[in-house]
Amino acid sequence: MSTRARAVRWGVPAAAILAVAGAIGAGPVIAAVQGDPQLPELTADQLLTEVATRWGGAGAAPPMSGTIVETASLGIPGLPAVPGGTSPLALLSGSHELKVWYGSADQFRLAIPGTMSEQNLIHNKGETWWWDSAANTATKIKLPAEATAPAPAPLPTAVTPPDAARMALAMAESDTAVSVGNDATVAGRAAYELVLAPKAAESLVRDVRLAVDGETLVPLRVQIYAKGAAEPAFEVGFDSITFARPAPENFTFTPPAGATVTEGDLPALTRQRPQMPAGGDPAVTGKGWTSVVTLPFDAAKLKDNPILAGAKQVEGGRVITTKLVSALITDDGRLLVGAVTPETLEKAAG
Amino acid sequence: MSDAGVPGHETVSGEMPAGGPGSGMARSGAGARAAAWGATLRLLRSELGLIFRRPRTVAMLTVVAVVPVLCGVAIRLVGGDGEAIMAQVAGNGLALGYVAFSVMVPLILPLVVAVVAGDALAGEAGLGTLRYLLTAPAGRTRLLGVKFTGMALFALATSLVVVVSALVTGLLLFPVGPVTLLSGTTVPLLDGLLRIGLIALYVTLGMVALGTLALAVSAFTDTAIGAIVASIVVILVSQVLALVPQLDAVSPFLLPTWFQRFDGALREPLATGDMGQGVLAFAAYIAIFGSIAWARFTSKDVTA
Repeated sequence: MSTRARAVRWGVPAAAILAVAGAIGAGPVIAAVQGDPQLPELTADQLLTEVATRWGGAGAAPPMSGTIVETASLGIPGLPAVPGGTSPLALLSGSHELKVWYGSADQFRLAIPGTMSEQNLIHNKGETWWWDSAANTATKIKLPAEATAPAPAPLPTAVTPPDAARMALAMAESDTAVSVGNDATVAGRAAYELVLAPKAAESLVRDVRLAVDGETLVPLRVQIYAKGAAEPAFEVGFDSITFARPAPENFTFTPPAGATVTEGDLPALTRQRPQMPAGGDPAVTGKGWTSVVTLPFDAAKLKDNPILAGAKQVEGGRVITTKLVSALITDDGRLLVGAVTPETLEKAAG
Repeated sequence: MSDAGVPGHETVSGEMPAGGPGSGMARSGAGARAAAWGATLRLLRSELGLIFRRPRTVAMLTVVAVVPVLCGVAIRLVGGDGEAIMAQVAGNGLALGYVAFSVMVPLILPLVVAVVAGDALAGEAGLGTLRYLLTAPAGRTRLLGVKFTGMALFALATSLVVVVSALVTGLLLFPVGPVTLLSGTTVPLLDGLLRIGLIALYVTLGMVALGTLALAVSAFTDTAIGAIVASIVVILVSQVLALVPQLDAVSPFLLPTWFQRFDGALREPLATGDMGQGVLAFAAYIAIFGSIAWARFTSKDVTA
């Protein structure tokens, strides 16, 4: 066979590779060609007011279902590879997926899929179940008597964009510069982007970007950018979303035969709440973006932890820095943590 | 390993020249095409005989059939403590099908398919029988198609062996009834059976994707064991890469990531999005490595 004929034959796999690459890259390229979506202009104040009036009351969101993806790249040194669990530690690295079905404030379901496992929080008209397929347990959650609405922070692992947005808006006080950024596309929908930037220079946070759906004003995505980073250090947002009432089967739950049925608090909350060291409550100094939390802390407990290996020795203690958070372990047994520069922590430690 | 292949090969290389060349050469047009198709079908039949009659294939399929039985017996004896999916088997034999796939998809099934696919071209080249195969009036493209089809049918056969072995063991050892899915929903027996079928098809397609990769490697070498080991190394390295959180970005491009997604069939509602993406990933692998195998095999000088 001639060299030329051979070259022509190899053109076929080359074309196949190009076709696959094209199919993978088509989404971003199309988005880039289309450019940012154009929504009616709104000032930051107007947008905040619109969002607040629409979502100020609890649970007035439209029926929807979708997939939420949480991605963290905090740059924590020596964090072990945690397989897709739901412990708070697992959320500090990598990407996690959460499925949401929302009918109304008293009908919703959250599912955390894992490999050959799934955890579900199903709330249906005053009845709340937590299903953990790996443990084969169904837990009927006891709600406070007066509360028909869901608990304010349902799960440490299940921060929905509306929850995160509410927290961010609560923080937007006088120490924050609020502006409206370029319109963004989130989960295929045109969205306003609200930019909250701390004014304090010692903050490690450059800004928090909140994408709000242009049509329904549902918060679709929250991103936290560290100073000097092009990629968000933390991001939680919809990967896909459909504004339609989910099928009613999603909200019915009957404990399957053979499962352990218990009644109690959310196991995710009781089991995984970080253990506060005994002897003294955490003290908060500073306010807003530059708050510093001081806790009594015994460094000996972390002796062999890989996180300490990345710590830097400074006068009076050791400093661990990540993109978003600094921690100072003082030699006299305190732990200071804040989204601020290490110098600020040292000053706070005195 | 090549020892085991020799007896099978002798029947084929003996059968091939007698199978129909010569007579087909003289005709033209539609007649020649029909003759070529006839030769292709005969090739496929002898290829399937070659694959399934080999002692090593029989041994591998036996292992594939024994693993679900071992799982079932172990759960029956020890009880279903620990992993909930195992606990479920104790209450419902059908769940053994899911357990069997989750145990075998990471390594055993890829290994078995890689042995057959890696051997397909390199084994013939190494033994010197490829030359004789090419004398059939089917053409190299069709011969490659025959090898691919044989590999795909073998992958389907392994999945079916897993299903049948798991279901029979489950029926004999455990009660059978409505099935509890990962989402906590209970579905009727028939629904549960359909979901096992869906898993079997999905896993088969995944294994065909891996087999195509092995077939492409196989077209480059005359050493079957080299092609087999290379394909298995690809799978093992992919699995190691998937464990490193810093490399999360590459995991959507790795086959094992998508093998695991068969569990989407056990969610309610069906995770069609995840599984659909898996099917697309498999199709991409088949297209890329199938065309590489074709380009190499049709332009290669067959000297041995």
